[in-house]
Parts: sequence; structure tokens; C-alpha cells
Amino acid sequence: MAEETRIVTRRLREFPDDSWTFDRARADDAYEAARKAVTSLTPSEVTELVKSSGLRGKGGAGFPTGMKWSFVPEDVTPRYVVVNHDEGEPGTFKDRELAEADPHQLIEGIIIASWANGANKAFVYCRGEFALGSRRLDAAIRDAYEQGFLGRGIFGSGFDLDIVLHRGAGAYICGEESALLDSLEGFRGQPRLRPPFPAVKGLYGQPTVVNNTETLSTLPAIVANGAEWHKQWGTEKSPGTKVLSVSGHVTRPGNYEVAYGTTLKELLDLAGGMLDGRRLKAIIPGGASAPLLTDTSVPMDFESLKEAGTMLGSGAVVFMDETTCMVRNALVTTEFFEHESCGKCTPCREGTWWAVKVLERIEHGEGRQEDLDLLLDVADGMDGRAFCPLGDAAAWALRSNVKLFRGEFERHVAEGRCPMDDEHLAFAGSRSRGLGLGESGIAGQPSAGIGTDAWEGADH
Amino acid sequence: MTVKPASNGHPRQRVLDDELRHVAHQIVAKYPNPRSATLPLLFLVQSVEGYVSADGMREVAEILGLTPAQVLATSSFYTMLKKKPQGEYLVSVCRNISCTHRGARGVLTALQERLGIDVGETTPDGRFSLEAAECLATCDGAPALQINYEDFYDTTPESASQLVEKLERGEEVRSVRGEPVRTATEIARETAMAGVVLPGTAGDVVARTVGGESQPTDFYPGHRPRVEGPDE
Repeated sequence: MAEETRIVTRRLREFPDDSWTFDRARADDAYEAARKAVTSLTPSEVTELVKSSGLRGKGGAGFPTGMKWSFVPEDVTPRYVVVNHDEGEPGTFKDRELAEADPHQLIEGIIIASWANGANKAFVYCRGEFALGSRRLDAAIRDAYEQGFLGRGIFGSGFDLDIVLHRGAGAYICGEESALLDSLEGFRGQPRLRPPFPAVKGLYGQPTVVNNTETLSTLPAIVANGAEWHKQWGTEKSPGTKVLSVSGHVTRPGNYEVAYGTTLKELLDLAGGMLDGRRLKAIIPGGASAPLLTDTSVPMDFESLKEAGTMLGSGAVVFMDETTCMVRNALVTTEFFEHESCGKCTPCREGTWWAVKVLERIEHGEGRQEDLDLLLDVADGMDGRAFCPLGDAAAWALRSNVKLFRGEFERHVAEGRCPMDDEHLAFAGSRSRGLGLGESGIAGQPSAGIGTDAWEGADH
Repeated sequence: MTVKPASNGHPRQRVLDDELRHVAHQIVAKYPNPRSATLPLLFLVQSVEGYVSADGMREVAEILGLTPAQVLATSSFYTMLKKKPQGEYLVSVCRNISCTHRGARGVLTALQERLGIDVGETTPDGRFSLEAAECLATCDGAPALQINYEDFYDTTPESASQLVEKLERGEEVRSVRGEPVRTATEIARETAMAGVVLPGTAGDVVARTVGGESQPTDFYPGHRPRVEGPDE
């Protein structure tokens, strides 16, 4: 039976009633690792420690954290640390829990990263919808200031650090680090051309380290226990642990922190197996962007998943049972990317739009056999041709649904109905457009009346 | 600051009164560059108007030294900044992968019927708005929904309707994490003011005593306000 290895989730699991309070966190040695870093290690020693620990970014790309830091030029000030707490990859809910239940661990990680990178100001970009998380972070930051752990001369050293809490306003793309910076500067959240990377030219054009909440939350344990301690778990190229958000048709959905290399089968066991004993049909191993799997023997680490043709991504694992309609799965996923496409580049903006149209047609029993190849063609038109990874992700998810479950798509077309379910997709006739991208005159979309009856009734 | 007359020639009521303008300046002081305050200031407007009004955007532009078009360009990008008046309670039903596979459609349909409105609409009495939301990072409670951004887990058509009925009766409703549901005004104000401590509040007392200096502090204790440009 697989077991969890709790590093970042240890405190919140041990003290579920008050892990977010200053008193509980402090009694559990919160801020001692930050004190150690600031008062007894040089910034470059901290960076070296993080490098040798093998810590990799846990937001999706898996880039080595210490290496990311080493790109920050030493002779340019001011420098900033920005926390990417804009979690939004469908299926992912780890950062939400980490900040809600252990905000002091995150703040401690921010102090360590800021010290290592010579930043005197850090920004937490907190997803707009995270009301409780923001409330808890706000209170925790206040507590840390009161105790002299933030502000001027923290821990009695000469190091100053301020943390600015900033709320997003509902846009998945702002989880992409350069779009996040544009959003933080008060613009539409659209990705920037890279290079230059944020480490060189980031927030307000200054060197900026953008790290994910889980990544930063791991730093206190690494500083406290050392690089070798961290490397005792996981694989050679993916050392340590990962919080995996498990959802879908499982008995106990939730966040499970496991060593990299834990198999999907072991993870499914941790989550209590499939709901009601039903059979497994498909797995999304790394968020909506990740191509599907059906094999539970695959280990959850960057290299193994890449070899299996998919990716670890943000660590969101969705198990789907035999009752799942894969056309609906593809539609819901693609609608998400269509809604969240920022509109900056044509392949993504138009490709997601057309893919949704075709998928809706199939879902409504009006599909044509040639639609399947059309969908793959649309996917090819986005993959590698979009400005940022959102377009690629939309293509990967779409292609994998169609290729892996082609027979099911064909049955939808041949039978003119969903073979899994007699119901039609309720969302198709009643989709929330909100204040999204539609208003900006995107080609192929009505320029007015989006969100109105006319829009809802439009042939799309 | 002068207020431009409305296009119909009648004098316009200001969206942000003196007190909120004071808050706005505290928010601006959080950032090295005032433009970064665009989103929180728009939330401040939404807390007054129930949405981001054209008048509100104009005032935000004036405060930040931007053009109204620049503010509109930013505002129109974000789902949480609403283009038309919203109800006192915004019910957001997650429509993404895990929630859909575990029954979100039934929950949404039940709410549409119970409230008598379609997705994207507000009840005629102005109490409820309904939306289908993208992943709310609550997949562990699928199908999940938020009411004014507080989380409700493992919902059913029945339980979702009951939540609405409780709010209609004026009863307190608490999220899966024990948080009371705030009103739309309260939550927009809170979102705008994340990380802000107002002078005269308990946080400000801390601000002025920490470090032994009594200089007024704009938000967190220890923070040194900077007007513009990168710090240090």
C-alpha cells in the first residue's frame, strides 16, 4: 500500500484545526528556516543549496528552481520575487489548500527566495476567486510583520522585505508567468514574448523571480534539513515530493503528497480506488493540458510521463470511469481553453473556437464522419503555432481525446446521439460568457450581444 | 479633482466618495507603479455599483493618470469584473472537467429552474446572479460551486436549491470551510482592499509602533510608501 510523504502538507495535516494561525505555525518552528537562511547563509549559499536539492518548479513546467534563480543578474536592482498563486489548471487545487491551510509556510518560503535573490519586495499574485486564501494570507502577512519577520531588518539582520498581496480578477492565462506580470502591472493578462525571460526583465522591466506557491512552500524544509535530505525521495531527475490533486470518479478526492515516481495505481489506491467500484476508463495525469492515459503503471515523475507521451504538468490527476463520455470530456476541456484564450494570437483564438463548434455538433448528434479528422487538423493548426503554451495545451488535450477514443467519437456521429448518455450537454445552450474575450471583436464571433439571448441562440 | 458632466448634461454623482478615494490612494501606495492598482480600484467601483460602470472606469482612470480606454481595455479582460449589474449573491457553478463528470449539469439546471433565470442573468429582484464558472480549484468537492467566492462542496440539485432558499430567507450560510457568505458589496470591497491597512485601524497601530517610528504607513507595517518608479 502506497503512503504519502508529507513535506509541504505535513503541518496542515497534523494540525487541521489551526495550521494557518501564527501561534500554531510558530510552535511548529515556522520561520526558523528563514531565520537560518537570512542570519547564517549568504544569498549564493541558499541558491546553491536549492540547486543541489534538485528542487523543480511545481507549477507545471518543472524547471529547476535554483537554475531559474541563477539567471537573475546580480548588478541590476531592484529585483522582485513574485508568487504565482493564480492556480487555475483544471483539476488542480493544491496551491489553494497550501495557502489557505499553511500561509506561514508560504511566507517563510518567500523570505528565503527573496533573500537568495536580493529582492526587498515580493508580490503574491493571488487568484481572484480565492477569497478565503487571500483572507488567510492577509492575516498571516500581518502577523509576520508584527513579529518582525517582515518589514525592516527582519530577524534583526539588515535585510528588508515587504510583501504585497495582489488579487487577480479571473483569467486562467494569468497563471502563465509573463501574462501574470502584465496583469500585475495593470494590463490585460497577455503573455509577453520571451526572451527576455522574467529573471532578466520582469515586473516593471526589472529582474523578477516568479515561483509557484508549492515550490516556495517547499523551501523552508529544504533549508532546515538540507539538499541530501530532500533527495532521499523521488527519482534522480525528479527529487523530492509532489502534491497531486486527485479528483474525478475516485472514492476520496483530495491532495496527496507523494514521492516523485509513485505510480498512478498507488495514487488511485491512496484515493480509495474508483468510486462505487466502477472500472477506470481514462486518466488525465497532469491537468487539462495533459494528454490522456489509460495505463496506471506509469510513475508520476517528469521523465516517465514524458516518455508515456503526456506530462506531469501541475500534478492534477483526474480519474474517469466507464460512464464518462469522452466527447463531452473533449468539449468541456476545449470550451475551457476557448474561454481562457487571451485572444492575442490567431491559432489559439480561432482554433479553440472552431474546435468547440465541431465538438458541439458531434455532441448534439449532428456530427459528420469527416469531423474527426477536422478536429485533428485544427489541433495541428494550434500545436507549436501559438504564442504561448495555452494553444499547445488545447491541441494536446483535443488530439488525445480524439485519437485515444476515436471509436466513441465515431459512434456519436453514426448514432446521432451520445452512446453514453441520452442527455444533451446542458452547457451548450447556456454558456456563461461573462466579461471574457468575446467583446473584443474576435473574428467569427458576433461583436455585440454576447451573453444576451441573441448570443445564446446564435448558431455556433 | 473635477467631475466631468454626464453626456446628458446633468451633473454626475461620483462613484467613489471621499472615503473610498482615500482607500483608493492607500491601494495605489502598495505598488511601485500606480497602474498596478487598476484591478483593485475596479473592484472598489464594483463594490459601489455592483459592476464596473463607465463612470467608475473614468474615475479610476483619473486617479491613476490613465485614459478611460486604457482602464476599459484592462477591465474587459477579466471575468470577475462584471459588465452589467450583478445580484447580491453571485452563484458560480463550476462547469469544468471533474465537476461535469460528477454532475455539475444537474446542479446548474436545478439552479436555473429554482431562480428562474438563465446562466449569465440576474433575478429581477436583484438578489441572485448565476454563472457557469471555469475550474474553481475545488475539484475535491466536485460538483462544487461558489457563492460570492465561498466554496460549497459535493453539491446536488437539491442542496444547491436549498442554499439559495436559505439566502432568500436571510439565513446565514456557511461554506465548506466554515466561512459565512458575504454580500457582493462586501466581497468586492474585501478583494479591492487585500493587503491594505487603513490608518486608525488596529493594523495601523502596529504599523506605527513596529520599528519605533511613527511615520504614517500606508499598508503593512514596515512598508515604506513609494510614489512612483521602481523601489530602492
